[in-house]
Amino acid sequence: MWLPLLGLILGIALGLLTDIQIPAVYENYLSIAVLAALDTMFGGIRAKLQEVYDDKVFISGFFFNIALAAGLAFLGVHIGVDLYLAAIFAFGVRLFQNIAVIRRILLTKLDERKTKKQEK
Amino acid sequence: MKNNKNLHITLISLIIGFMLAVQYNTMQNPQERDTRDIWEIRQALSEEKKRHSELLTSIQSLNEVVSKYEDAESSNPELVLQETITDLHRQIGLLPVTGPGLTLTIKPAQELIEYGYKIEAISPELLFRLVNDIYRNGGQYVEIGGQRLLHTSAIRDINSVTTINSVPISKADVEIKIIMPSEELAQKLYNYLLSSSLMDEFYIDNLELVVNDVESSIEIKNTATQITSSYLSEANKGD
Repeated sequence: MWLPLLGLILGIALGLLTDIQIPAVYENYLSIAVLAALDTMFGGIRAKLQEVYDDKVFISGFFFNIALAAGLAFLGVHIGVDLYLAAIFAFGVRLFQNIAVIRRILLTKLDERKTKKQEK
Repeated sequence: MKNNKNLHITLISLIIGFMLAVQYNTMQNPQERDTRDIWEIRQALSEEKKRHSELLTSIQSLNEVVSKYEDAESSNPELVLQETITDLHRQIGLLPVTGPGLTLTIKPAQELIEYGYKIEAISPELLFRLVNDIYRNGGQYVEIGGQRLLHTSAIRDINSVTTINSVPISKADVEIKIIMPSEELAQKLYNYLLSSSLMDEFYIDNLELVVNDVESSIEIKNTATQITSSYLSEANKGD
């Protein structure tokens, strides 16, 4: 449980300390990739809580989503349609849905725990 | 299997953290592009060059003082100290100074007087600009209307009367004396004042700025006030 959190903190520290900057041209791609990554992460947490988590799905989803989002943005730039908006919309909606599901699951778990305590 | 799973999640959260941090970095400090063209860069370079040469000059003069001190160490250190004190006194206006320079006269514009314009006091802003321009062109000592400008001098408008060192200056016919390090620089300042927009600025205020020719010797009197310091007085014995 704590290992992923540690990884996240380590990653943030690494990124801040190395002081890497992305050229302004590629900023769009990175922002969309970050969104895709966040979506995958919350999706993974939800799957784990619903006990349908699959390692393969999670990892393939992570890389595939990022690549697809960046590819869409790239295509959008070249054909002059803001396709990255589609990716942002899709990921944004899914992010909210995933978080809502996580919240509900946690709430039901909390309720169960309370009733168990009362029964005791 | 469980361990492997955890490792994967950790790895991916590490990547996510890294991406977040990089994105944050990029948004926080956007790279500023240098959009100057070659002439602007040359101009900036020439400014730095000027500063460089100024610093070199001051190093040179300080080195001279040091070598003087070192030379005089055996024979007469008091003399050199006296010289430094005299120099400092000159700088803070306790001693009169003479040197090459030029004088300016500010007087009401002739044609405007004839048509009956009211003469107004010279505005402090105009004097600021003039004095700044003089110092920028290497002016050493400046006196306006008999008041010597020092580091502590103030040019202010008090009750709509323009004052220098809290002493009002006259509305018409103000003489400005400027002492320059050399006659050559004085000539340069003379040329600058003639070509600059200062004369037009004075004319807007119905004043005429007359730039007189360079003179080889101009005297500026010392300030009347004696500077006293209460910090370095000798303590009485037994206190």
